[in-house]
Amino acid sequence: MSPAFPRPRPLPSRQPPVPPGEAALPARPPAAGSPAGPSREAVEAWFTARGWSIFPFQREVWDAACHGTSGLLHATTGAGKTLAVWLAALQRAQASRKPGLRVLWVTPMRALAADTLRALQSSAADLLPAWQVESRTGDTDSGTRARQARSLPHALVTTPESLTVLLSRPEAKELFAQLDMLVVDEWHELMGNKRGVQTQLALARLRNWQPGLMVWGLSATLGNLQQARDVLAPDGTIVEGHLRKELLIDTLVPDHPSRFPWAGHLGLQMLEPVASEIAQHASTLVFCNTRSQAELWYQNLLDARPEWAGVLALHHGSLDKEVREWVEQGLKQGMLKAVVCTSSLDLGVDFLPVERVMQIGSAKGIARLLQRAGRSGHAPGRTSRATLVPTHSLELLEAAGAIEAVRERRIEPRPPPEKPLDVLVQHLVTVALGGGFRSDELLAEVRTAWSYRALSQDEWQWALDFVARGGQSLSAYPEYRRVLPDEEGIYRVPDAAIARRHRMGIGTIVSEATVQVKYMNGSALGSVEEGFIARLAKGDHFLFGGRILEFVRMHEMTAFVRRATGAKGAVPRWQGGKMPLSSELAHAALEQLRRATEGRYDGPEMQAIKPLLEIQQRWSALPTPHTTVIEAMESREGHHLFVYPFAGRSVHIGLASLLAYRIARARPATFSIAVNDYGFELLAPEALPWREALDEGGAFTTDHLLEDVLASLNASELSQRRFREIARIAGLIFQGYPGQPKSNRQLQASSSLFFEVFRKHDAGNLLLTQAQREVLEQELELGRLRTTLQELQRRRPSFHEVRRATPFGFALMVERFREKLTTERLSDRVARMLRELEKAAGP
Amino acid sequence: MSAIATELAGERVLLLPQKAMYWPAARTLMVADIHFGKAASFRALGVPVPRGTTSANLAALETLLTTHDTQRIVFLGDFLHAKAAQAPATLQAMLDWRRRHRELELLLVRGNHDWHAGDPSTLLDVTMADEPHASGPFALCHHPDVDCEGYVIAGHVHPVFHLRTTRESLRLPCFLLGTTRAILPAFGAFTGGHSLIPEATDRVYVAADDMVFPIEKR
Repeated sequence: MSPAFPRPRPLPSRQPPVPPGEAALPARPPAAGSPAGPSREAVEAWFTARGWSIFPFQREVWDAACHGTSGLLHATTGAGKTLAVWLAALQRAQASRKPGLRVLWVTPMRALAADTLRALQSSAADLLPAWQVESRTGDTDSGTRARQARSLPHALVTTPESLTVLLSRPEAKELFAQLDMLVVDEWHELMGNKRGVQTQLALARLRNWQPGLMVWGLSATLGNLQQARDVLAPDGTIVEGHLRKELLIDTLVPDHPSRFPWAGHLGLQMLEPVASEIAQHASTLVFCNTRSQAELWYQNLLDARPEWAGVLALHHGSLDKEVREWVEQGLKQGMLKAVVCTSSLDLGVDFLPVERVMQIGSAKGIARLLQRAGRSGHAPGRTSRATLVPTHSLELLEAAGAIEAVRERRIEPRPPPEKPLDVLVQHLVTVALGGGFRSDELLAEVRTAWSYRALSQDEWQWALDFVARGGQSLSAYPEYRRVLPDEEGIYRVPDAAIARRHRMGIGTIVSEATVQVKYMNGSALGSVEEGFIARLAKGDHFLFGGRILEFVRMHEMTAFVRRATGAKGAVPRWQGGKMPLSSELAHAALEQLRRATEGRYDGPEMQAIKPLLEIQQRWSALPTPHTTVIEAMESREGHHLFVYPFAGRSVHIGLASLLAYRIARARPATFSIAVNDYGFELLAPEALPWREALDEGGAFTTDHLLEDVLASLNASELSQRRFREIARIAGLIFQGYPGQPKSNRQLQASSSLFFEVFRKHDAGNLLLTQAQREVLEQELELGRLRTTLQELQRRRPSFHEVRRATPFGFALMVERFREKLTTERLSDRVARMLRELEKAAGP
Repeated sequence: MSAIATELAGERVLLLPQKAMYWPAARTLMVADIHFGKAASFRALGVPVPRGTTSANLAALETLLTTHDTQRIVFLGDFLHAKAAQAPATLQAMLDWRRRHRELELLLVRGNHDWHAGDPSTLLDVTMADEPHASGPFALCHHPDVDCEGYVIAGHVHPVFHLRTTRESLRLPCFLLGTTRAILPAFGAFTGGHSLIPEATDRVYVAADDMVFPIEKR
């Protein structure tokens, strides 16, 4: 009856969630003084008693930590790295009569906190039973939080957000007075994003209080490991704990490649082959790239193999926590045949029984593919095996490239963000709450965080003015007061309501407003985006958590539903950035094409795609590292231009906007832009002389690049969308949270409204500049864009007028999500759209 | 100025691209949801919204007064955004404007925000009314669903129409003219909008730049 997990079981969700490990400690005395930690001998004996051997990298970490050295431990997932660092911390424990927190363990996901806590507690119980080990995350109940606020345990597992909330407490400095060691788990997940920057700022604060603080990062394989260390622990050492494991990556090649679709994302035509692979293994993880895709695959697998009801499960980030935990337990105990999942199962402790990983659609990057492959084959004597399942023909090409790139271990780097001002603005308010600050002292501290090492005095002053006066001093607003200096020049937050709102809004993950999905009896299923529910009418069916549900009514951020049978209805779409193909993978695919032009088709993937590539060659040409293929076509929809640079979707958005802007500069026009990882399409309602436009003013020149890209941004909606995230982090938009009464109606305004008002009345606002910069650096990857343009200039253009869409073009034509770029006046555009509608409606 | 003339309850009115309505026979300008002082209220709550929206609102009214012979402005509710909108700087700007237009009659039909914000300063000399306020064949309201005699003219919902073709879509502030009521777009410089699905009997007009366009039914 409830297929998100084995069917016969009812929903396990009546009792309120209790953070694991804390239920057992309802009323502990405050963390008191404690004895010294275990000796090296005791630790070794503990290993021996379990029949485990100690890995060399574990000894290395213990020795380094013994001398007070910080560092980065580079290792695959597994208990080995956790024990390496945790037992180092225990060995360092000094006998002390002072109570207080000694070890802080930061983990990127709430879901991981529970597992990590269990792992830390079980070894501490044997080796240092006097220590209290607890967790504190967004899931922690308010009673436990209040108790922890009075005194922290000896070791605490937490997330970057919860750590920041702790730093916002007035007595923060005393709370961390005994801190000896900070551990950042899964650092590779954090360092490339703003949550990593938030972690850096917290670390800068803690280091300022405890100059000798030892810091250890744990990281999976990365292209920029040195940098990962530099950001976290500049003086630290790198310990190599990477055990080369047997790794097999292969592809599930369709039986009849000629009948395989040219485009698509779902890949359900591979259902039968995938099902029969699952059948041959004890336990399989089926990774999908989106939650809606996971929902559909789950439902279809179950329809194809009804006998799997009860042993086939679904796992994604929007499902209720208890459902997810149930699935994870089932995996660990080997009770599940297969789990259809998303990146929600990328991280965390290993599921020993998993034998096989299937990746539906592109893995988008080598590091990600390796990470996922590593989730299988942990039982002794087994190989990690990941099988790529293409969802359309061109993914065979990518698969061939990926397999080669994995063989050569070409792994992507994750560059940390450069001085994001929205995170800084949030941090200033946090520190103003957490005891207050003096401007010069905090500036010096903030500059010790890697991302802000080059923060200028001006930028600092701007951020300070922004929180203190609402803007630059010249246009100070008397009614505005978020952070104010007291008589001694210490900046504090004078208003209790602002303090409360800030603590609730801390965080750098921006998500759409979500609503809870519940049965009529109140049991929770998970959450979906508000926008999806808004489109449903009473009685409509939708697919969620592997069930067909009927929407009954909406009440205060909760959608009430009941089970339904019959028509499946819509599948919710969850927002979430589409991952661009990494340049490593894109280049690998292009190289495969180059070989194809020489008649070389190596491996089963290239053999399968050979007929398709021959069609592409016949109708147009194959893109290679030396040729850019450009196709022009006319259809009922309008006038198309296809270009295939193979640079990944984010670079393609930039390239397409740039090209559209350069073409439309002379003649006002509106373009609809489609991109995928292989190329982009410009679609114009009216005929354009593509060829001349491309020839005339160096369409791909790098001259005036920044100027033109900025202008093209103003003509599209990219900055505005980016601004949404920045507005939330900087505290412009207050979201509230589910279950909270609708507070502060008068504070409701959308980010697009803010964007408009800022642009009109405060165009120099640095948050706008930041939105632009982030679009340039992160979304459009300006650096990569420049390199790509230079590459394109070197490549020979190969222009073809085609009568129908080629295999490469077709994949773009059916792309649903489209960017707009317009240089038309709004009223001209409305007039044209109305004309088009009239024409379409006929006489 | 490309306004559109149409008839409501037998009266000729002009739908203005500045998101207001003009009733020539009564020399009346009707404006919904101007939300004076919204930016100031945000600032008072610690959200730094730049200055300039009040003067933008006043400048927009000013433009309309120069192009349309006006004896009275009717504000269809939500004149002030919140209590904090009574901030001295905001009030001063409004008083300066009022001083330049002493002869003008101002009528405010109280809306939901006005109930919380309190009546505007008496110095502004605004006549206060509760909905429905009868004026000719019209019932001047804030909420569109007021049950009363007369053709309702209201605001409150900040209506926005989603104009879509196969390739493009735009959100545009709109007028919704029905058989028993008309809803005006929000006038304020710092107000958002809500997409509405027009009722079958509604005539829809969208405002873009200096033009108003009728949306044909299909």
